[in-house]
Amino acid sequence: MNPYLAAFVSGMRRTVAPGELIVRVGFYAVILVVFAAVWNAAMAANGGEVAGYGFAGILWYIAAAEAAQVATNARMIEDIGNDIGNGTVAIELLRPVSVVGLRLASEVGGAVVRLAGTCALAALFVPLAAGPPPSWNGVGLAIPSLVLAVCCNLAAQHAFAGIAFWLEDAKSAWFLYQKLIFLLGGMLLPLELLPDAMSGAARLLPFWAMSYAPGRLMAGYVEPWLLLLQVGWLVAMVGAAVAVFSSGERRLQAVGG
Amino acid sequence: MRALAATWCSAWLDAWANRRSFWTQLVVMTINDSVWVLFWILFFHRIGEVRGWDTEKMLLLFAILTTAAGIALGVFANARKVGQLAGDGELDATLTLPVDPLAHLLARRIDPSLIGDLAFGPILFALAGGPTPERIALFIVGSLCGAIVLTGFLIAAGSLTLFVGGRGEQADLAFQAALILASYPIDFFGGVTKILLFTAVPAAFISSLPAELVDSFTFQTTATLLGSAAFFSLLGIALFRLGMRRYASGAVWTRA
Repeated sequence: MNPYLAAFVSGMRRTVAPGELIVRVGFYAVILVVFAAVWNAAMAANGGEVAGYGFAGILWYIAAAEAAQVATNARMIEDIGNDIGNGTVAIELLRPVSVVGLRLASEVGGAVVRLAGTCALAALFVPLAAGPPPSWNGVGLAIPSLVLAVCCNLAAQHAFAGIAFWLEDAKSAWFLYQKLIFLLGGMLLPLELLPDAMSGAARLLPFWAMSYAPGRLMAGYVEPWLLLLQVGWLVAMVGAAVAVFSSGERRLQAVGG
Repeated sequence: MRALAATWCSAWLDAWANRRSFWTQLVVMTINDSVWVLFWILFFHRIGEVRGWDTEKMLLLFAILTTAAGIALGVFANARKVGQLAGDGELDATLTLPVDPLAHLLARRIDPSLIGDLAFGPILFALAGGPTPERIALFIVGSLCGAIVLTGFLIAAGSLTLFVGGRGEQADLAFQAALILASYPIDFFGGVTKILLFTAVPAAFISSLPAELVDSFTFQTTATLLGSAAFFSLLGIALFRLGMRRYASGAVWTRA
């Protein structure tokens, strides 16, 4: 079997373990309950619409934007940083495959399982809380967009975590990275709700491709070009991760591995 | 008590040993909290007042939540790890000591990043909470009650591992649910969810009720908060002690 495919399948199998999956999906359920309550109250205070989003639109937005985040291992940057810091990654360098490629394949495998779990829950919960999705065409676009969002996020986390090759510690970097997605990625609020300058800046950065894009599509805005832009950011993020690891690996070898 | 105090001091020294890491984690948590403050400012700026909550009141709630979480998760860092430690059979070393195992566990570890929360909360209150002598006193009482409720709840949820098995997954979920739900005003919720916030996941006692105490003091709110703190601390202790009768050693000698 192709080593990358094997890593993908292995990642899926690891995540199917009930304990972790139940916690993830349970966590996601809590988020949906909270945001359903928050936006229900907020919409009631604003005549039922905010920046073009109705209650159903915003809840489907949140469901997709959060699913893309919950599907990934939030602390992966810390884990990668630890592997680099304690030298575990040196063992992976012995394999005749790309370290980044193999790690990405494994993480995407795990994320796909979590994504399936969260999407199944959203499909049950959101129609009961807010009604059906505003547009089925939007849903059709949102599904590949969710996968692209997860892949973009995982590639970017690898690029971000590569800092550990130089600092030997990426422990806290994930916290900052996560917050960038929270606000500039549109995970907590759609970009249309941010002040103009902040929204403009957010659209120039890659984080919107990891949360806002699937949310926007799921909210009923049929904007297929978002997928094309996500593919562009995915290529850029994978390129950045490969470049950081290539450069970092040379440094790791220089200090003895 | 002297042994526990010494353990607690050594936990601080342990965390302080790597000073660069200590300060980095503290600063990063402060930035993290600032992002949440920014989120609420943006939210209320765009949405306006929601069910009596505006930016000022929300920041008061957030100041109490970060302070309470800083105590429960930073100063008593093992509170959220009881389930995992018990599930992995890593309590052997603690059980050999001539002190109460739960007290030793709680005193054993400090989490520097959550100490950042503990530093952030009072500063936020000083800047945005309208501090007066009376409000400061109520802020301290409210935050302490919230911290006790959160600590007791996490210990209780973690101790369930000793009854149902696993590696404390339900405690992880309880931890995340409590923190997320406590991050939002109780008035945003209704029906069954609101009842759950006063019972199964006592998020209301961690932040919303203490915020109400600071904003409009009544003896009834004070009594409710003190009662909830007593109840959840006793619940945590009782479940831990009952659960320890079923504890199975993992033959792993760790520092917990």
